[in-house]
Order: sequence, then C-alpha cells, then structure tokens
Amino acid sequence: MTRVSALLPSLGLATPWLLWLLPLALLPLLLSVTRRSAVSSVAAAPEDPLSSGLRIALTAAGMLAIGGLVLALAGPYRAGERVTRTGIGAQISMLIDRSGSMNETFAGRQPSGAEESKAAASRRILRDFVGERAHDQFAVTAFSTAPMLVVPMTDRHDAVRAAIAAIDRPGLDYTNVARGLGMALSQFGAGAPGVSRALLLVSDGAAVIDPRIQAQLRAEFTKVQPNLYWLFLRTKGSPSITDKPAGEDTPQAAPERHLDLFFKSLGVPYRAFEAEGADAVANAVRQIEALERDPIPYTEERPRRDLTGWAYSLAALGLLLLVLAKLAETDFLRAPVRERSAAAADPAPAAPRRAAA
Amino acid sequence: MRVWAALPFTRNLRDRRFQALAAALLLAVLAIVVPPLPLTRSGVSVLAVVDITGSMNVRDYTRDGRPVSRLDTAKAALRELIPELPCGSRLALALFTERRPFLLFTPIEVCADFAPLDGAIAALDWRMAWEGDSRISSGLHRAVAMAGELDADILFITDGQETPPLPANGIPPFEGKPGAVRGLIVGAGGHALAPIPKFNDRGRETGFYAESDVQQENRFGPPPADAESREGYNPRNAPFGGAAARGEEHLSSVREPHLKALAAQTGLAYAHLDGPDLRAPLLAAATPRPLPSRLDPRPFLGAAALALVLAVFLAGALRARATPFTPSRMS
Repeated sequence: MTRVSALLPSLGLATPWLLWLLPLALLPLLLSVTRRSAVSSVAAAPEDPLSSGLRIALTAAGMLAIGGLVLALAGPYRAGERVTRTGIGAQISMLIDRSGSMNETFAGRQPSGAEESKAAASRRILRDFVGERAHDQFAVTAFSTAPMLVVPMTDRHDAVRAAIAAIDRPGLDYTNVARGLGMALSQFGAGAPGVSRALLLVSDGAAVIDPRIQAQLRAEFTKVQPNLYWLFLRTKGSPSITDKPAGEDTPQAAPERHLDLFFKSLGVPYRAFEAEGADAVANAVRQIEALERDPIPYTEERPRRDLTGWAYSLAALGLLLLVLAKLAETDFLRAPVRERSAAAADPAPAAPRRAAA
Repeated sequence: MRVWAALPFTRNLRDRRFQALAAALLLAVLAIVVPPLPLTRSGVSVLAVVDITGSMNVRDYTRDGRPVSRLDTAKAALRELIPELPCGSRLALALFTERRPFLLFTPIEVCADFAPLDGAIAALDWRMAWEGDSRISSGLHRAVAMAGELDADILFITDGQETPPLPANGIPPFEGKPGAVRGLIVGAGGHALAPIPKFNDRGRETGFYAESDVQQENRFGPPPADAESREGYNPRNAPFGGAAARGEEHLSSVREPHLKALAAQTGLAYAHLDGPDLRAPLLAAATPRPLPSRLDPRPFLGAAALALVLAVFLAGALRARATPFTPSRMS
C-alpha cells in the first residue's frame, strides 16, 4: 500500500502497480467505438461544430470509462487517521505472582469443589477489571523466580484478558518480587506527561529484597512516580502485613511486613490491600478503579475510506455515454437514402451519428 | 422525435460492440452495488512454545553477516510469521525451560492484537527462565497436553539439546494420544557443534561452557548395555564405569534425530529452522480452522468490464483494417 504522498497526502492505492495500465485510457484518442463508414473525401463535408463536439465528448467518455476502470482496479482509498483524544483512564502495569502457592486456596489448601484458588479468584476479578473502562492501558508482567514480560503496555484489552486468563495455570517455584518490580516499572516507558500511572502488584507473599537492588528500585520509582497498589492475597493464618514477628524483626522473619515498609519509604502514593477472600479482592479492585480516575490521552483510529465505488461510478458514467452513443448510432449513408427530407444536411465524417436532441 | 424514429435501433441492438459495452456498463454498475460475498477461509490456532534454555543462546545463525543466536532467529521467524497468517488466526505464547511450558497468554487474534503480540515475542529472553534444566521430552509432552486444553495446534521451537542428557533407556513414554494434537516441531540451530555461551548471575556473558561444566551422561536409572565393558566397572559400586563421563554435551548442534523421534512419538511434523520462513510448514502441519471471511467481487467485475471495453476499441481498429475501401454495406 503506497500513498501518493507528494500531491495528496491522504490518498492512497491498494495496488498501485495497476496504474501502469493507465496509458490504455489514451486508446479512445486513436480509436472509436462507432462503426466506420468510408467517404471518398472528408474535405467534401463542411465544418460542423456539433459533430466535432460529439466526437470530443465520445472520446472523453471512452477515456473516462477505461481510466475509471483502471483506477477502480487499483483500489483508491483515503487513508485513515489517528486522532488523539482525552478520556478517563490510567496506565496500569500489573505484576502478577505466578509462584506455586498462588494455586492454593485462601485457606492454604489445594482447591476442591466450591473453593477456588487464589490464582483463579484473581483471574476472575482482574478479567472483569480489564475493559471496564475503554481507555485504560495495561501491561502484564508475571514473576516467580524470574520476571517474565507477558504483554507490553497496550490498549488492546482482548490481549490483556488473554494474558490474565493464563494466570491460574500451575505456577512456578519462588516469589522473587524485586526483579519483577523492576520489569513492571520498565513497562511504563516514556509516556505523555500527566498520565496517571499505577503499578498493581498481586501476590500472596513477599521476599527479601537485596539491599543493592533496593537502591536501584528506589531510583526507578522516583523516576516513574507511579501510584503503587499491593493486593496481598493473604492465606488464612499466615502473618499480616502489619504483624510484628514474635522474635527478631528482620526481613527474613517477616518479609511481608518489610516489603510494606519498603514500599512506604519509596515516596510514591502507596496503598496495600489485604484480601483474605474473593470478595475482599473484588472490593480492593473496585477501590483502585475509583482512585485511578485521571484524564489520559488515547489514540483513535479513523478507518480508511474506500473510494473504489467512486472510481466505478466514473467508469459507469463514461460507459453509459458510450452505450447511448452506440444505441443512437446511424450510418452515414443509410438514413438519407430512406428519408431524403430530414437529415441530409448532417454529415459528420469522423463520428457519423445524429444528435439526439 | 422523427430523428429517434429514424435510428436503426434493431441493427444497433444487434451490434456486437454495443452488446459488449452494455455488458461492461452492467458489470460496472454491479461493482458499485454488489456487497462483499461471505466466504469461509481457513486460518490456524497455534500455541507457540519457545525454548529459552541456555543452548538457545548459541550463535550459529547469521543475519546481515553477523552471528545471531538461535533464540533471536526463532523470535524473528515468529515475528515474521504473524503478519503472514490469515486474519482471524489465533496465537498463544508459552516459554519452555526446565521440564514444562509456561503459558504467557491464551490464544489472541493475530491482526487486531498484532501490537501486543509482536511486543510480547520481541520481549522473549533467556533471562525469563526459572531453572536451568532442559528436559525437552517432558516439556514437549506437557506442551502437547496444554495445546489440547487450549484447542490449538502446537509450534514447538527448540534445538533438541536435553540437559541433563537422556538416561540410557531413552525418551520417556508419551501418555497422550499421538496425533490427537497436530502441529510442528521446529529444530533451531546449525548442524555443526558450536560452543554454548555462559552467563554469570548478573546476566553478563563470561565465556563458554567447558567439558567439565556440564553433565555429560545421565547416571540415573539403569546403566547402559555397554557398561560392563567400561573400565572400572563394578555392578554395585561403579555401575556406569569408573571414569568420569566424557562427551560433547557442552557443545550444541540441532539434535535432529532426537527431535524427529519425538515428532514420531507424538504425531507431530518436523521442520528445520533455516531462515525466517515458518508459514508453509506450519500451515501444512496445522489443522485448518474455518474463519468467516469476505470476498470482494469488484476486482473480477472491474477486470471483466475493462477487458470488454478494450476489446470494443480494438475491434474497431481490426475491422477498419479488414474493410475494403469501397463501402460494403451500401445495399
């Protein structure tokens, strides 16, 4: 698909090479559709403006017919446009825990019958979340031992839902949240200023973040400035974010509490939601949705307009004229023979036909 | 009115060139009014599983005169495959390492969701691997089961290098039904042995694997048949012989016999990844799935109309040449 960019920037052709057939439209200059009649001398006929006008009109009709058909075959169109508008929404980078424990229920058991696993519950609720607002953009990152980029930042909600549909498949080994956070932050890219950015961490546990990586993450968070939400899917009986361990208060003893403390120290807007069941997860997601209500620029594709029909209309007009001309065609010598009175003074050497007027 | 009456209508209506022009006009008008015809085309639904284990980092492909890794070649081939699939085809993406595939997303449409699909494939990286093992037989068996669950065909891109090496009793049995899931195993890699790059724990390349770095023989399970002839063999204390195993497991080439055996076991087709052309072997191996499509009849109508008009003009020239100078129709 090339555009005829020099002259008309918004017009294009689907198969431009067919325009090489366009010189065929010069054929009517050399040949006529009408019957030929031989005359001994063209000079014998007087100059007749009506006849020469008709000849020009018929030649033009022939050129229009051939040119229109060639153009129509080449498939002309007016190119679509991308229009940037402003809607309500946010860029949301989801970071989803795919460690093995996500496949257990909120009670810490293997899912059976009525109970659903943490992964299945978050899958169901997040799937409804995606696409609720048309202009949200999502990116999905999964992590266990290593972070995995699943879907880059996109407004194609079908693709995001397909990624979320995969999160209740059997998970992998460990919860290595630090590298996952790094990758989820990198998903924002260089966006437009003023766009609301949210990082949504969905996990059922935490891990110790290496102090060296802590410094890197801190710098990244300062640069990107996202709103941070941690949806902590707590297994019943396991320690809460706020629980202080009985013994020593080290990151190794209470990783969840220390991850929370780390998030609080980042200097970005942060909220943690502890969910101990599917209802609590749904509630938390609703709250996040309500919080992320900022204008976001989005691009809208205006589809291209097909102009083939117009080209066929031009060709049909030319063809109609030719058909009428052929229908009204008469022979140079026949009519005067039959009716000597009327039309004897109408000799047209090149296009021997009669005015229909 | 007398003028109209004087026209030789019957003669004009019988004129072949008039009939041809009228037919061309009819075709042009049809081209304006006829809607696209509903049509069924065949597309595919594919689960692409990409091996991201260490041996896929071997740089034994070249592109633009520079060596590129098997993984990069596989990614390029997938990215070039997507625009070539008929719209409405669907693709799911999974990673393979350790012994099982990891599904990134369920099938998504290749045209409307092209941008995220392309971005996800571009982002594939060996660093996404969660473990270093590469048990390809198990991975393939589970990937076939996964494709069955997703109602998709499988496209499994791997170099076939098992790490650790297969035990002496060969490929583990396949529990599924061979041929129930169709698809293609794509062997990536050159046919000559090449060194495997080694990376440190920060992901930086530090050299190549040496012979002693990797497991050269799988010493789980029963020993091979020739073990008794090995030096230092002792049925209880050294059933695999007394010496450390030597071999070429630290070097890598595409293990085609192994992959072909796997393809035969699971009822899949096999193709070697020569360049970035996966379309033809994939379409040959995959189940065609009916997709609603539309056929635009206008090019056919327009081409026929153009042929008729040109014929009318050219017929004039031919007849003129054939006509003698003396008017023949004077009767």
